[in-house]
Amino acid sequence: MNRLGIIAVGAAVIFAIVVPFLLKPFGVYLISMWAVLTIAAIGLNLTLGYAGQISLAQGAFVGIGAYAVALMTQAGWPYPIAFVGAGSLCFIIGWGLGYPALRVQHHYLAFVTLAFTTLVFLVLRNEEWLTRGIYGISGIERPTFLGWSTAGARDFYFFCLGALTAFSAATWWMLRSPWGRAFVALRENPVRALSLGLDTRRYTLMAFAIGSSLAGFAGAIYAPLVQFIEPNSFALGLSFNLLLIVIVGGSGHFFGPFVGTLVAVLLPEWMRITQGYYLMVYAAIVMLLLAFCPSGLVGLMERAAKAVMIRRNLDRIASAERISR
Amino acid sequence: MTTVLQVSNLRKAFGGITAVDGVSFEVRDGEILGIIGPNGSGKSTLFNCVLGQLRPSGGEVHVDGKPTTGMRPCDLNRLGVSRTFQLLQVFPQLSVRDNLILAGQEHQGSMYSRLFGRADAGLGDAADRMIEFFRLSHLVNEQAASLSYGQQKLLDAAMAFMAGPRLVLLDEPAGGVNLTMLVNLRERLQAYHSERKATFVVIEHQMEFVMALCTRVLVLAEGRIIAEGTPQEIRSNPAVIDAYLGPGSARHE
Repeated sequence: MNRLGIIAVGAAVIFAIVVPFLLKPFGVYLISMWAVLTIAAIGLNLTLGYAGQISLAQGAFVGIGAYAVALMTQAGWPYPIAFVGAGSLCFIIGWGLGYPALRVQHHYLAFVTLAFTTLVFLVLRNEEWLTRGIYGISGIERPTFLGWSTAGARDFYFFCLGALTAFSAATWWMLRSPWGRAFVALRENPVRALSLGLDTRRYTLMAFAIGSSLAGFAGAIYAPLVQFIEPNSFALGLSFNLLLIVIVGGSGHFFGPFVGTLVAVLLPEWMRITQGYYLMVYAAIVMLLLAFCPSGLVGLMERAAKAVMIRRNLDRIASAERISR
Repeated sequence: MTTVLQVSNLRKAFGGITAVDGVSFEVRDGEILGIIGPNGSGKSTLFNCVLGQLRPSGGEVHVDGKPTTGMRPCDLNRLGVSRTFQLLQVFPQLSVRDNLILAGQEHQGSMYSRLFGRADAGLGDAADRMIEFFRLSHLVNEQAASLSYGQQKLLDAAMAFMAGPRLVLLDEPAGGVNLTMLVNLRERLQAYHSERKATFVVIEHQMEFVMALCTRVLVLAEGRIIAEGTPQEIRSNPAVIDAYLGPGSARHE
């Protein structure tokens, strides 16, 4: 990362720490939601953006994580154990969902994962003995860590922010390790990757499993954030929304999900000034964005930064020439 | 001399078409074997069967005496068999350096030790040496996509050597490369061969390239080996001229 990037990230971190003190509770709730969905989007960015495996199941994994945590904590398990359990469960199921990806790719894989999302939705809605069906689960309590209660909106936001920081750091580490290179190789040219000794089967399954477990962890935070979960929240809409976040932010760019989630969570709220039309305006903005900037917002920013740098170098060369003359 | 690769009676049929029809040959330690033949004679299919990209319909492949028939390409690669493809196959979004590190990293430790180890898997210096050897130093941090076709061909070949393989199979390394780059490529391959005592099998259409590089040549036509010998013997073999230029051509020579 260059100096400009470090300054931008530093400013964003300070902003993220200060901003809850400037917002009303609903605003704090929204930025908490931003943090939670960003974790899920980081997972999808790993599976789709880096490893190139399309998935329309990310929302379903958020649902599995949310239900796992809600059911486990209400059965008396401590939250940290339920949290780890939700992520692990999604890791295992995600690994299983990776198997179809070994056989089919692209839009075929999209439909396999879409069917999985529908299946999860049906289980959540119909298996009342386990999930309480359409009534959902209410009264999900926010956890207390070593005497620090996260019941307040601001406290819970800091819990979300802490989790986001930890998961981003872990993902950053993984992507800069040889695994990151292997995932990109899987996306760009699996046949060549295989001939260079990459066990593409294992990396594909791993990309699905880790991506899904991040969605599971996001779900495990989503449940106590919203405090009421029901099957509809995790139907196809959420998976499409997460896909939109990754693509609008910039698929395969590390900071893509952070920016994409800002667009998906905050933009509709700001658009409320247009009253009844806010979703239409939002949809139009998204269409324009994708038509003119398919590499996403972070891709656009990178291009702009590069242009500025080239400009600056050219100016420097020009002025050096002037001096030498 | 020991045998590195032994192919026995290898067959591959696609439906009713037999692309490789009972091919047997061996590759000895330290030699550069050329495989030539008209388009559609089964050269690439042969490579793909030897290297596990395709499952052969019959026959056997041994590497260093170990049976490897039907082994997955990644496992075969970790045994020390490396290859390039007919069409250019580099990773366009990765830098030149990352392409080379990637080409060697799976040979370093286990998958899990790599996750917690160094970002370059300890291959940074080796990659830089390989880049220097192939004279790409000025491009080390460029994205592979921004290289010229000839430079990408060099990178493609360099990647096949990165893990220090026992045997390298090159599928048309000279295809589509301009004359200057061609000489450069041939010279680099020869230098690598003499420095590391590596063993090569080369599929190639460019006759001069084959004749200058290879110590022994096999000629494939319609899935069978029709001739074998030194480049000089092959050049004057009437069966080879027939296969390339049509029956009867040899008599007009």
